[in-house]
Amino acid sequence: MALTPEGTRAGDAGWLRVHPASPFVRGWVALAALFVFFGRDTFERLLQGGPLFDEGFAGRAPWLLLGGGTLLLLTVVGFILSWYFTRYQVADGYVRVNTGFLFRQQRQARLDRVQAIDVVQPFLARIFGLAELRFEVADAGESAVHLAYLRADEARQLRATILAGASGAAGSPLLPSAAPDPGQPATAAVEAPERTVLTVPPSRLLGSLLLSEQSVAIAAGGIASVMLSAVTENRSFTVFLIPAVIGLVASYWNSFNHGYNFTAADSPDGLRLRYGLLDTRAQTVPPGRIQALKVSQPPLWRLFGWYRVQVNVAGYGLAGSAGEGAARTTLLPVGSLAEALEVLSLVIPDPGTPEPGKVFTAGIAGLAQAAGTPGPGMSGNADRPDDDGGFVTTPRRARLLAPLGWRRNGFTATETALLLRSGRWWRNLVVVPHQRTQSMALQQGPLARRFQVVDLVLHTTAGPVAPRLIQAGLDEARTLLEAQSARARAARKRQKSEHWIDPATEPAQTPAEDTQEGPHHG
Amino acid sequence: MPTEAIDPPGIDWVRVSPKYVTVRVAGWALGTLVAVALLSLPLVLVLSGTWAWPPLWLAVAVPAVWLLLALWRLALIPRQVRSIGYAEREDDLLIRRGIFYQRILVVPYGRMQYVDIAVGPVERPLGLCTLKLHTASAGTSAEIPGLPASEGARLREQLSARGEARLAGL
Repeated sequence: MALTPEGTRAGDAGWLRVHPASPFVRGWVALAALFVFFGRDTFERLLQGGPLFDEGFAGRAPWLLLGGGTLLLLTVVGFILSWYFTRYQVADGYVRVNTGFLFRQQRQARLDRVQAIDVVQPFLARIFGLAELRFEVADAGESAVHLAYLRADEARQLRATILAGASGAAGSPLLPSAAPDPGQPATAAVEAPERTVLTVPPSRLLGSLLLSEQSVAIAAGGIASVMLSAVTENRSFTVFLIPAVIGLVASYWNSFNHGYNFTAADSPDGLRLRYGLLDTRAQTVPPGRIQALKVSQPPLWRLFGWYRVQVNVAGYGLAGSAGEGAARTTLLPVGSLAEALEVLSLVIPDPGTPEPGKVFTAGIAGLAQAAGTPGPGMSGNADRPDDDGGFVTTPRRARLLAPLGWRRNGFTATETALLLRSGRWWRNLVVVPHQRTQSMALQQGPLARRFQVVDLVLHTTAGPVAPRLIQAGLDEARTLLEAQSARARAARKRQKSEHWIDPATEPAQTPAEDTQEGPHHG
Repeated sequence: MPTEAIDPPGIDWVRVSPKYVTVRVAGWALGTLVAVALLSLPLVLVLSGTWAWPPLWLAVAVPAVWLLLALWRLALIPRQVRSIGYAEREDDLLIRRGIFYQRILVVPYGRMQYVDIAVGPVERPLGLCTLKLHTASAGTSAEIPGLPASEGARLREQLSARGEARLAGL
C-alpha cells in the first residue's frame, strides 16, 4: 500500500462517497452522549413524576439551548465534513481512498495484494441496512481500506468488483492491460457463484462452548473456591467472584455471538465465511492466502468427535482471546472430522498426496506404533501403507521426554504442504503450505541434546497458529530442514503471480490435478 | 566448538569478528555492575545497622552467588561468540548461534522484506555492526552481531540484490 503524493486522481470520474448516514451510525455514541448529558435532568424528573420543567428552568433554558445547540451543530458539521471528504475509487488494479479535511490522507492499495475482504454489519448498521467493507493487505495491523458504511448490496457489489480485479479473471476491466482508459470507473462485476459447504447448528456451538477448555478451567476454579470457603469458613471472598462471573458470561456471549449461524461456502474467489448473531460478518479469503492452518481438539471434545480449524492470514494479524480477532481467524468453530477435512480440502485444494483423507486423518488422530517409527530417510512419503500416514515421530529413545506425546509428535510432507502433529490429549495438526514457509529454525536445549532430539520451528505471519515440530530425531530434523528448504524454494518458483484466475500463471501440472474449479497456488 | 552441533553437514560457517567479545563483555560488565550494586544494598544497610532482618550471611551470599553466576557467564562469552556464524548459500542464508541452547536459522533470500544495519556505542569504535533481517514473520528474528563494518555493508548489498532476484510474495 502506498500513499499517492497528491492529486493523482484522474478527474472526478469513478469517485464515490460512502453512505450519507454512515457518520451518524459510526458516531452514534457521541450523539447519544450529547443527548444524555443535556436530557438527563428532564428525564429524571419525568421518572419521578414531577413537573417536566422546574421553576428555574425558564431562566436557564436559553443557555442550555445555546450550549447544546452549538455542540450538536459542531458535531453534525464535523460528521458532514468527514463524510464529504471521504471518497473511494476502484480502478486500474488499485483501490484508492481519500479521507480527512484538515489532515488529508490519500491511500491506495493494489488489488492483487488483497489478503482477505470482510463485509461487516454491526448491529446498528444492520438496522439501517448498511455494511462496512474491510480490505486487508499483509501488514497485520489495521485494515488497509476501511469503508464504513455502504448500503449492504453496494458493499457486496464492491467486494465482487474488487475480487474480480484481484483474481485476474479474464476480461476484467480492472487490470491495467485490459482497461482502455485509465481512471475509468470499474464496471460492475458479477458476484462469483458459491456453494454452501457446511453450517454449524447453534446447539452444537453451545455444546462446544460448554465443553471447551475454558469451561473446564471454570469448573476447576469453582470447585476450588467452594472448597476454600468451606475450609476457611469465610464467605466474604465470594463477592470477588461476581466480576469474574460477569466477565465469563461476557466471554461466552462473545463466542456465541461470533460463532452463531456459522456458514462456510466455496466459491471461485475463495472461501466465504458468514457468522454472527447481532453483528454479522462475511469474510472472503481468496485461494492461497492461508499462511498456516491448525486443526485442534480439546480433550472434552473427543466425546463428540469435534474439531476446530484456525488459520493465519497475513492481513488478520494476531487473534485476541475471545473477541473479533479470534472469530476472524477461525475457519470452523466446531465440526466433525468429515467437516474439518472438507474445510481442509477447500483451503488446500491440492493436497499433494494420493490419499489426502488418510494422511490428514493420521495427522489429526493417528498414533505411531509403540515400537517406534522407521529410521531416517523415510520422511516425506506416504507410500508405506503400514505406517500411520507417513508420519515420522519422536524416536523411541526420547520417550522419557514426552511419555505421552512421543508417539504423536511428528511430521510428514506432501507435495504441497508440511504437516506437523502433536499432543495426545490436546490433539493438534498444523499444515503449512510449502510456498508459505517464511524461514525455519532448528532449536535444541541441553536436555534435548542428551536425547539427541531437536525442535524445528517454522516462522509464519502473526496469528493463532505457531508451527513447531516437537522433539524430532536429530538426523530426521536435519534432513527435513534441507528438504523443506528445497521444497519451499521449488514452490516459490512455481508461484509467479498473486492473481488466482490468470490462466498464464497456472503452474504446469497434469490436468488431472486441476479438475477443481478453484485454482491454487494463487 | 561443542562436540555435538546440530548443524546440517557440509556447511562452511563464516564466524563473526573476535572483537565482538569486547562488545559482549562491555554489556555484561554494565549489567553485572548494576545488578550487584542493587543486590548489595541490603548488605550496606545491615552493616550500617539500619536493617535488622536479613542476617549478615544472607546479605553477603545473595550478591556473591550472583557474582559467581555472572563470572561463569563471562567465561562463556568467548565460546558463545565463537559459536555465532553465518553461511550464504545459493538460495538462503543460514545463521547459527548458541552452545547450550543452539539455534540454526534458515532465511530464504526471496522471503526477506528488508535488511537493517545497527551500530551501537561500543561497536562503533571497534568498527563492528549488527545486521538484522526481517521477513513477513515476526518470529524470524534473524540477527548477525559483530560483523566488521565493511563486511556488514557488503552483506547487506548482497542480500538485497539476491532478495530482489528471488523476490516472492508472501
